[in-house]
Amino acid sequence: MSKEKRVIKILRYDPANDKKPHWVDYTGEYDSDSTILDVLNEIHWKIDGSLAYRRSCRSAICGSCAMKVNGQNILACETPIHKFKGKIKIEPLPGFSIIKDLVVDMDLFFEKLKKVKPYLIVDKPLPDKEFTQSPEEFEHIRESVTCILCGACTSSCPSLWGNEDYLGPAALLRAYRFIFDTRDDGANDRMDIVNDKNGIWRCHTIFNCMEACPKDIKITEYLSRLKVKIVENSI
Amino acid sequence: MDKNFKETSKSGGIIWLFQRLSAVVLFVLLMAHYVTYHFIGHGVVKYVDIIEKMKAPWFNLIQFLFLLTALYHGINGIWMVAEDYMKKKGTRIFVFSVLVMLGVILMFVGMLTIFKAGAKL
Repeated sequence: MSKEKRVIKILRYDPANDKKPHWVDYTGEYDSDSTILDVLNEIHWKIDGSLAYRRSCRSAICGSCAMKVNGQNILACETPIHKFKGKIKIEPLPGFSIIKDLVVDMDLFFEKLKKVKPYLIVDKPLPDKEFTQSPEEFEHIRESVTCILCGACTSSCPSLWGNEDYLGPAALLRAYRFIFDTRDDGANDRMDIVNDKNGIWRCHTIFNCMEACPKDIKITEYLSRLKVKIVENSI
Repeated sequence: MDKNFKETSKSGGIIWLFQRLSAVVLFVLLMAHYVTYHFIGHGVVKYVDIIEKMKAPWFNLIQFLFLLTALYHGINGIWMVAEDYMKKKGTRIFVFSVLVMLGVILMFVGMLTIFKAGAKL
């Protein structure tokens, strides 16, 4: 495997010592198949142990390592460095406040998620065995259940940058996932929650969320279906 | 239900629906505008040709509906985006009033053009 010299620029910020975030350059030789997370680990373990970033599963399933690289929101663990030409600029996810370096404050993100009741609500008697769905019924939510809540979509949304009260695509997608789940009985409750000035109507179909999603979920399309359902329901 | 949001309103759905409906109507009227203004005629379209057409009530009706829909769609679009950035009630009322006034003025000027131009000949 060939090694190549790469310049890595990282936006560093330590609230205890820095007035504002600043770029720091690191130069090293990396395998072209190395991921962004490999590079961050290399820097953290061998060059500067003070570099803060989140990581966990290394398998693109925990959603911890979402960050902005060369202008794109990506998962560091699944993105190889050969995808980027020239200098690699690594920043924390935009739209969230920075705790330290690449670690952002996700509290508000998860608070908004809780608002849409992200769990199955069942009023009918429980079946003896498992709840079943037909393949056709499951198809409506098949993609949306693969969301790993990494925050890449919500952080890429310009409507959220302008209004931090906006629920954001991740919470709305989770609302869609349960509203369109045939086993769920809480659809009206959830639709009442997202049918709000700071809910679904702040989505202007900009498509940034779809481009940012590392799981290639067609978020904007599902949010549009949700809008139609809410309007149909209220007429 | 306590939503814990700074603004709560159900008006978003109606605004969104009318924006979609006006977009469809606008597309049809835009095509009608292009066809009647630019493609029905003989060779180069001249000022007098258009003024001549503006005598016909059906032609003016299409232009009037086009003006109405375009203004509604445009101003409603600006309002929907502007709402992202306005939280204070006073600011919202001020911007909304300015947009409505702008709509009324442009509607008036547009109607003058549509209904007066043909009458000049």
